Amino acid sequence: MSTDLVNPPVQLQPEKALHLSQLAPQILKSSPTTSLPYPLSLLTTPESQETWVVYENLVFQCLRTGDDDSAKECLDRLVDRFGEDNERIMALCGMYEEAVAKDDKELEGVLKTYNKAIQADPTNMLLRKRKIALLKSLSRTNDAISSLVELLDASPIDSEAWAELSELYFSQGMYQQAIFSLEEVLLITPNAWTIHARLGEILYIHGQSPSVNDAEILKSLSESMRRFCRSLELCNDYLRGYYGLKLTTKRLLDVLPSAGKQSDADLPPPSTETVHKLHELATRKLAEIVRRSASKEKGWEGFDPAEIIAARELLDRETQKVDR
Amino acid sequence: MGLPSTVLLVAGAAFLSHAVYSSYEHALLFSPSISSGNKHPLPLDIVLELLVSITVLCAGIVLAAPKLKPISWRVWAREKETEEKNVNIRRRKEEDAGLGAQVGNPFAGLEDGSRRGFLDVRGARKAFAEWVREGGGGGRS
Repeated sequence: MSTDLVNPPVQLQPEKALHLSQLAPQILKSSPTTSLPYPLSLLTTPESQETWVVYENLVFQCLRTGDDDSAKECLDRLVDRFGEDNERIMALCGMYEEAVAKDDKELEGVLKTYNKAIQADPTNMLLRKRKIALLKSLSRTNDAISSLVELLDASPIDSEAWAELSELYFSQGMYQQAIFSLEEVLLITPNAWTIHARLGEILYIHGQSPSVNDAEILKSLSESMRRFCRSLELCNDYLRGYYGLKLTTKRLLDVLPSAGKQSDADLPPPSTETVHKLHELATRKLAEIVRRSASKEKGWEGFDPAEIIAARELLDRETQKVDR
Repeated sequence: MGLPSTVLLVAGAAFLSHAVYSSYEHALLFSPSISSGNKHPLPLDIVLELLVSITVLCAGIVLAAPKLKPISWRVWAREKETEEKNVNIRRRKEEDAGLGAQVGNPFAGLEDGSRRGFLDVRGARKAFAEWVREGGGGGRS
């Protein structure tokens, strides 16, 4: 069996998703079924640790590519094996129902079954998450946020849920709340360099929004710079981190000279000299990454082409300005 | 495992078995009895051969060991960050680690749009249908 099916990234390119879902009939045919109930079925059909993970991933990929029959087949096997009351299976079944629903009315029906099941068992976290995902895809973001807050009240160490909450708040333009949620994620996974970079990005965007005053801009920009620095500390040659660092330091260099001395802040803004140095460092490292990945040097080929193009554009924009 | 380590391992094993065999023969020839005591200690050449063979074996084992994993977080993180998008590195890692190995960034599941608990199945479906309509499917719809 393909290893990609055991641990596929969620955001798969369409070609790969198609390829995986086309494997489904073959896998379904090659793994035999049995009519015996679960503990006895082990006698006739061997199963490995990956077997059911593969089925689970197949359900999603098949639903994604519109191969509902294969998805149903995989789902039936999972139900046969684990029973309909299994939390994970309930969530998967719900996902199938969502995907095949034709209009909003049917989706409302799915939502109702979710509500009923959650009322029966409020500890079913997976189903509660599915409900939130459904609310989000129905564009009822406010309902989604309130359900998510409820869920987090019950289980405040769920980093995934905090990250989702941050995304929802961010989509509503509530940057302060989004930042707070991401900080909660960092309390749980303090070494996640991607989250540090994401937090830096949100802080940067918050610093750009027109409604905030000068002191706030300076504060969130310097915080953003520090977050990007931390992400770079945790991951060498982190392109996203350097990109963000360059943007924030550049903006800070514009803002810093006009800002007055702030002695009351608990963390004073960085000195112009430091920011200047960091800006130079970011520019140098970005240029190095772009150059070495373009010439396909060994150890430098793993970067995302889209990110490389964006970094090159950023650098080009700067040099054009200097030329003028 | 490269050629040098294989050579060292084979040579070391041969020396070791030879030394053991020699000491066995020696013990047979001068089997120590209660009266004689330990009048015939192991000859120096056997002892030397034994030591040399063990040294050679150790060197071979060290040379044959797989490449060391990065010990510092930032180096490890860079590896994870780039292997995710590099199919070749991914494949090699999977072969190294066997099926179901953790490949790619372990925190990727926290990023926007990648959270497993909150999969947006309808959005993914729509995006895929869009991709097929644009002719990305290469005629296979």
